[in-house]
Amino acid sequence: MDLFANLAHGFVVALSPINLLMCLIGALVGTLVGVLPGIGTIATVAMLLPITFGLPPVGALIMLAGIYYGAQYGGSTTSILVNIPGEATSVVTAIDGHQMARQGRAGPALAIAAIGSFFAGCVATVLIAVLGAPLTKLALAFGPAEYFSLMVLGLIFAVVLAKGSVLKAIAMIVFGLLLSMVGSDIETGASRMAFNIPELADGLGFATVAMGVFGFAEIIRNLDAGAEMSRDLVQQKITGLMPTRKDLIDSAPAILRGTVLGSILGILPGGGATIASFGAYTLEKKLARNPSRFGRGAIEGVAGPESANNAAAQTSFIPLLTLGIPPNAVMALMVGAMTIHGIVPGPQVMQKQPELVWGMIASMWIGNLMLIIINLPLVGIWVRLLRVPYRLMFPSIVIFCAIGIYSVNNAPVDVILAGVFGLVGYWLIKHDFEPAPLLLGMVLGPLMEENLRRALLISRGDWSVFLTRPLSAVLLAVAAALLVLTVLPALRSKRDEVFTESES
Amino acid sequence: MSDAPSHEAGSWILPKWMKCPQDLVGGVALMLVALFALWALSDLQGMRGFSFGAGTAPRMFAVLLLVLGAGIALSGILSEGAHLQKMHWRGPLFVVAAILFFALAIRPLGVVVTAFVSFMIAAMGSEETRWREAAIVGACLTLGCAILFPYVLGLPMPMFPRFLNQ
Repeated sequence: MDLFANLAHGFVVALSPINLLMCLIGALVGTLVGVLPGIGTIATVAMLLPITFGLPPVGALIMLAGIYYGAQYGGSTTSILVNIPGEATSVVTAIDGHQMARQGRAGPALAIAAIGSFFAGCVATVLIAVLGAPLTKLALAFGPAEYFSLMVLGLIFAVVLAKGSVLKAIAMIVFGLLLSMVGSDIETGASRMAFNIPELADGLGFATVAMGVFGFAEIIRNLDAGAEMSRDLVQQKITGLMPTRKDLIDSAPAILRGTVLGSILGILPGGGATIASFGAYTLEKKLARNPSRFGRGAIEGVAGPESANNAAAQTSFIPLLTLGIPPNAVMALMVGAMTIHGIVPGPQVMQKQPELVWGMIASMWIGNLMLIIINLPLVGIWVRLLRVPYRLMFPSIVIFCAIGIYSVNNAPVDVILAGVFGLVGYWLIKHDFEPAPLLLGMVLGPLMEENLRRALLISRGDWSVFLTRPLSAVLLAVAAALLVLTVLPALRSKRDEVFTESES
Repeated sequence: MSDAPSHEAGSWILPKWMKCPQDLVGGVALMLVALFALWALSDLQGMRGFSFGAGTAPRMFAVLLLVLGAGIALSGILSEGAHLQKMHWRGPLFVVAAILFFALAIRPLGVVVTAFVSFMIAAMGSEETRWREAAIVGACLTLGCAILFPYVLGLPMPMFPRFLNQ
């Protein structure tokens, strides 16, 4: 079968010694940075982007993917041990995971998180392999109108799933779209909003903005709270890593449910790991016979969300690899990385560079296996890392980010721009605007403009083309329906409930 | 990590009709950004028949942002919401100063000097910094970066100040 041939081919690529090493380094470095509180997945990937420049494309992408799921894993480690979620995706893990750690069951909590993630990773890998080819075929039937409508749907999804005000989330997306317009127009070459600054002629670098808004802004904001954040570190030695038989039986169904939910939410554009973990936690709580156990160290509360976020993290590669559309901000960074290596993500990648796609898919599975093997014994080291005081950590992160940005283009202006966006990001956070939709808008902006232009050129200026082409009409209808549902007050209150629960 | 909205901060200067100053300020700021963009785009070509000019799409986005900003500002007047959060100056000031210094110094002074000085500037952003400790960590970090980036990763960057190389 084609599928197995492809996967086998992928494993051959991924198992080559050099790629295995890349995968290992990626997973380790990702975990290392993911463990550090105050740096999220997006900032981690943005920060480590430059270290992949010197590598061949396959190795670079394998390493980046490793950094991505490594960071996710590291995030859950900190939320269990110190109650500081390293990432948004592990916010819910902290609720029950940290309680378990306080009861002296940090070992089983970490182990279940790893096992759940690994299982979810396996399922998601197979899913990517199965869905990849048919979706690529579908993508070939897409014209510019369909692409445009699909991106609208993706952005609406991002709005619906973002927390807080819908209006503010849409505004952030549009702000991102506007920022993406800076630089030369692809068709006419006219300079737009570049103010004769040569470095802006190429547009605002995506990594630059991401590092500013997610890296620097986070640091500045953390400093507000006093450099010494409340660290509720579990001091006692972690004994007994292995979960008991009862733990395994309790968590097995939760892992299964989390995997299914996460896989679905990951494929949807605008979805991704964060919403998957929130969703899975709510689901587990609703299904539990005794919901009051949640928040007091229920192992399902760790197993479900951790499986879900890992499944979603991996299935969110599907829209990227098949349609070339990044479904969330991390995938948007992946697009940036691919472009740097001269790869245009989209349906043609699967056909033209199968070793790249399948190698990466296979490496995800291997990477997850590595994480489970390496990380459980390394927990002690991660804990020690957490004892490094923030007053020493934040200047180091600033310098590391600055060197990283500088090395992307060897341009000092980029570093200044990142600093400016750090201030912008800090201002946005202080006014309750979420920066993630901004980033998504920024990536999709040029794609949207191009497809909108092309669609209208083909239809000779007839705007109804988006509604007369059936596929495009369906996508837009779904987007409209979603938006209406979100704005409806009845559903609104329910939606808020999902999120406030996590913050209690 | 939690940003509890500080209710005392700034609330005394605000008139009563501002029910959610946070949204009002946020919305107005976005409107200003949109207006600035529209001004910056004003010399670009618009639609030519049914084909887009260079300015069409950005202008569409800018107008959309203007409308959304107005909507947010309006909701800040009409509905109750959070107060402005207190903005601190120390963290942002020194972190941005470190970044600026880095950007300006990396070419003429090289990684070694720049990274260390930037580290010390950034460290001033927190009241809890202990100088000797910060200097030691800064030196180690500088050494690490000086090995990692140019040698291990092969990224070209100057190591030492230019005047020493001549």
